[in-house]
Amino acid sequence: MNITADKIGALVFFIFSVCYGYYAFQIPLYPGEELEVFSSQTMPKVYAFTAIVISSLALILGFIDDIRNGSHVTTQSKDKFDRVGWMRIASLIGLMVFYGTTLEVLGFITSTILFLILGYLIMGERKIKTIILASVPVVIVFWAIMTQALGIYLTNGSLWS
Amino acid sequence: MTEGILLGLATAFTMKNIMFVIFGCFVGTFIGMLPGLGPITAIALMIPITYGIDPSSGMILMAGVYYGAIFGGSTSSILINAPGVAGTVATSFDGYPMACKGQAGKALALAAYASFSGGTIAAIFLLVAAPMLSKVSLSFQSPDYFALLLLGLTAVAAFSSKGNFLKSIMMTLFGLMLSTVGTDQASGIERFTFGQIDLLDGISFLLIAMSMFALSEALLSIIGKKAPDEAETPSSNMGSLKLSKEEIKEVAPTVARSSVLGFFVGVLPGAGATIASFLAYGLERNLASAKEKLKFGKGSLRGLAAPETANNAACSGSFVPLLTLGIPGSGTTAVMLGALMAYGIQPGPRLFIDNPEVFWSVIVSMYLGNLVLLFINLPLIPYIARSLDLPKQLLTVLILFFSLIGVYLVSFNAFDIFMMAGFAVIAIGLRLLNFSMSPLILGFILGGMLEQNLRRSMTLFDGEISFLWERPITLTIMCLTALVLLMPLVSTIKSYRAKKSGSEQHSTSA
Repeated sequence: MNITADKIGALVFFIFSVCYGYYAFQIPLYPGEELEVFSSQTMPKVYAFTAIVISSLALILGFIDDIRNGSHVTTQSKDKFDRVGWMRIASLIGLMVFYGTTLEVLGFITSTILFLILGYLIMGERKIKTIILASVPVVIVFWAIMTQALGIYLTNGSLWS
Repeated sequence: MTEGILLGLATAFTMKNIMFVIFGCFVGTFIGMLPGLGPITAIALMIPITYGIDPSSGMILMAGVYYGAIFGGSTSSILINAPGVAGTVATSFDGYPMACKGQAGKALALAAYASFSGGTIAAIFLLVAAPMLSKVSLSFQSPDYFALLLLGLTAVAAFSSKGNFLKSIMMTLFGLMLSTVGTDQASGIERFTFGQIDLLDGISFLLIAMSMFALSEALLSIIGKKAPDEAETPSSNMGSLKLSKEEIKEVAPTVARSSVLGFFVGVLPGAGATIASFLAYGLERNLASAKEKLKFGKGSLRGLAAPETANNAACSGSFVPLLTLGIPGSGTTAVMLGALMAYGIQPGPRLFIDNPEVFWSVIVSMYLGNLVLLFINLPLIPYIARSLDLPKQLLTVLILFFSLIGVYLVSFNAFDIFMMAGFAVIAIGLRLLNFSMSPLILGFILGGMLEQNLRRSMTLFDGEISFLWERPITLTIMCLTALVLLMPLVSTIKSYRAKKSGSEQHSTSA
């Protein structure tokens, strides 16, 4: 049996649809609403049912393809795993969470400067001058446009107030 | 209609709106040039800016960005063989070989002229077709809308990412499922909020668009095969931007054919610029003489003009269902629909009556966008291309920042940033499993409308599903939907039979 991206995708979607379907049945209804033709549960149930059918079909078709073509393992030329690249992606996602956590605590200016500096460092930029020039003025100009020109409030940070 | 055109001209030709078109075209061109970033990302990045301006200007800005992104995609296709947009993949077939021959300037000029001509012809069609269709669609009722929405959703799945029909359906369903998160508009009941107050209003479409497109595309570009800075230097050896009379004569019929083809393909829900460009390229190759056919793929002018004309014409065409029926035909127009809805404007037949200035100014600004691309962007392309030299390590982080802050500035809720990080992870996973994102965003945006119209139809018909066939319009649309659903099945059976007969022939000959 070949484990292909298509089959993994279909399986993941199948599991997701079953969970979604389970929660669709948990949606609370007003008394008597279950007797109505259309309730808050109707569409979620329809989507869950259709999604389960479609993902099952995708899985079954994947297996039929396997049987038809023989279950030999195809040797696909895969690109070499880019470890550094993936580490950077994971770190940037972590950095986004960090930004979300610090934005309202440290305020827009401090947290954004930190976000940009750390982001550039994660991406491999090591020139201090470039890092400073591409972070501090960008944030200050952006902050000035937003707050002074457009009158949009940007948080000062609960830590400083 | 003349009144409307004048109103559109008056709205679009104000100093402020002209500046928006120019700005939109520039930003769109720049973002479209970056490999991996398409018009959806470009438009999504613009949405937070448009919230602060009036709807007409907002739509004008987005239309400019749309055109600019398509043109930018063509530029990177020609110069570095890295199409920024799927709709310009066919452009690279002949554009890049021309650039390799030292005719990059000519290829870019031809692409701009072809885009301009395609856009012009399609804008005229749009001017005539949109109001006509708007009048017809005024008679549409909830069952018709439900059927139309179903057609739009299935058509997108059927046409998008060739051969991946089931995957596209799954993505559409995923989008529809996400649209059910939050408080049910009709009953006020919470659905899938898991007790989170931040989810009561549902997930904002901007958040989904930004994380599924901008964030995931920027993050995945880190491990992308070809980065702009690794590719050939785009600005070196551009060559002349001029085309000879003979060359113009050679491509004129191609441009005319591809404009018409592109527009009508664009009008079809789900088809869009990518299919239009490939169809036009295929058509030109089939029509070419045996001698000319050999030139295709090696720098043929016709091979470059056809997809360029068609993708621009299709862009205009895709506005027809959006403006007249309120149903987007592509991922890009779906994002625009979301933006319009955020303004409190419901596109559809009433748009023509309730907000004529939006309706007409979008149509007029499309033409203005074409003019800007031809007269301002084209001469500046060598300089814009040079800006691609901005180090990737800085650009990626800046895109992340603008995406995150763009969403935050709308909600002022840090929870949205966490959700964006989560959705970016999901989007990366889905992209790695070769799932297409456009059906998802379409499903997400149309989910609410689909539920609303089905609810109304069921109520109108006392819970019977006979509304699907009682009205001739509904029945016709439902038949079309069935046809669209059956199409991939038929093509699968056909290809299976062809494969089978091929293998049988092979075994008998052996």
